[in-house]
Amino acid sequence: MIKFEHVGLRYGIGPEVLADVSFTLEPGSFHFLSGPSGAGKTSLLSLLYLGRKPTRGLVGMFGQNINALNREQLCALRQKIGVVFQEFRLLEHLSTFDNVALPMRIAGHAEAEVKSNVDELLEWVGLGDYKEALPMTLSGGQQQRVAIARAVIARPKLLLADEPTGNLDDNIGFRLMHLFEQLNRMGTTIVIATHSQSIMDKFGHPRLMLDGGHLHVQDSDNWVQKNIEGVY
Amino acid sequence: MIPKLAPIKSKILKSATFKSRYDLPLHQSAGTSFLMLLVGLMTFLALMAITATFILGGVAQHWSAGLENKMTVEIPALKSDETLRNKSEINDLEEEIKASLQDNPNIELLEILQEDEITKLISPWLGDDVALDEIPLPGLISVHLHIRDDVKLRQIQNTLKNIAPDIRLDTHENWLGDILRLAGTLQISSLLVTLIILATTVTAIAGAVRSRMAEHRADIELLHLMGASDLYITKQLQRHAIILTLKGCLAGVAFGMFILLGLALLNNQSENSMLPELSLSMIEIFALLMLPAALGAIASQTARMTVLRVLRGMP
Repeated sequence: MIKFEHVGLRYGIGPEVLADVSFTLEPGSFHFLSGPSGAGKTSLLSLLYLGRKPTRGLVGMFGQNINALNREQLCALRQKIGVVFQEFRLLEHLSTFDNVALPMRIAGHAEAEVKSNVDELLEWVGLGDYKEALPMTLSGGQQQRVAIARAVIARPKLLLADEPTGNLDDNIGFRLMHLFEQLNRMGTTIVIATHSQSIMDKFGHPRLMLDGGHLHVQDSDNWVQKNIEGVY
Repeated sequence: MIPKLAPIKSKILKSATFKSRYDLPLHQSAGTSFLMLLVGLMTFLALMAITATFILGGVAQHWSAGLENKMTVEIPALKSDETLRNKSEINDLEEEIKASLQDNPNIELLEILQEDEITKLISPWLGDDVALDEIPLPGLISVHLHIRDDVKLRQIQNTLKNIAPDIRLDTHENWLGDILRLAGTLQISSLLVTLIILATTVTAIAGAVRSRMAEHRADIELLHLMGASDLYITKQLQRHAIILTLKGCLAGVAFGMFILLGLALLNNQSENSMLPELSLSMIEIFALLMLPAALGAIASQTARMTVLRVLRGMP
């Protein structure tokens, strides 16, 4: 499903922030992406959500080489990916409903279908009473749930989350992780970038460890790694 | 801004959406009302320039059509030996010319101009109180031809020379040519002004679109990351540009029409004016009213091309 082969990324003429990164993620897998600050987690995520193209190496997603795709084809591929950004990136002028509905509207779904799905999902994440609320009137936790709902509304094949529990207390963080596991059981491939050792220990999924732009794959004691193929 | 006007402005800008929702907060952008005002002023100027083009075209056509088959036989008051012709001499010559030409089959109408008609002709230059007895006036005969033809004109000229060699046939070619050249130059100038106004409007719209895109770059990138195509994003900015342009245009056209109506009324009130009649045909009025649609289309294409060009530079 996702295959990185000797991928490198540099910004402008600076040094490589990702160097010779290779791994494979099978459909329905669940991985943590971790590493110290500045290790390249956000850069790797940006490659995964097709926010940029690698400066070298091959990135294959959903059976296609992204270097060979034109802008329209990239758009179609992006619709298969849901992203929860660390800073949420909600559109401040749109209501909770419209923020969550955005991926479906972009994908061209009928308005009746959009309404029914968004209403259902907002109830599910406990924001049924906040449909018309603007993001600025919501608490941090509520905004995070809106961001998650937006990421999953179009049933993405790949869900990426950047420090989704970073601003939350452990209890809410664990509940959120259970939500991701639920989505994973429904077939969504999930990659979560996190610093939280406790979260990683508790849920025990395989880890993609980045350090100085290099990727190391770690098995969890509780998890049999089947999905990682690397050169390491 | 005056506090009382803020809700009105907000309402006007909010109504710049066909639906109530923009994925990008374009209606909240700074300078939105300024763009409408700018487009309104440009439309007003374009309307004036196009109207001037139409009127000048009409005037030139009116003059040329009116004089195309007309000419004037002039019996100079001053003879070639520097002596003056008296009135009876002029009258005799007029009658002789009339008798010689009236059987010419190419002449539709031949009319000797009376004193009061000559007075009317010269009054715009000399005023109404001219004592004609003190001024040596030529004899004038207005001639309408069926067909203007060089051979037939020469025949008439020969007939006149046989009566008196100093009698002139004024075909109005010289001054009419000058007037038409002047009108043509003014028309081209008006068209150039219109083109400059349109180019300025296009530049302003393109600049405004670029500014919106810079202002909302993060949101545009976010839409891209959610799978929005360039066309999807373009449509949003295009729709915004069209609506603002149409609003500005309609205001500009309404104001322009009001001014034109006022000018037409003033012109109609003035008597004995040397100015031609300021009137527009129905087609010309329709063309002026279509200005918002034309500018809307220009704004739409400008926005589209600008957005697509900027988006190509984004991931």
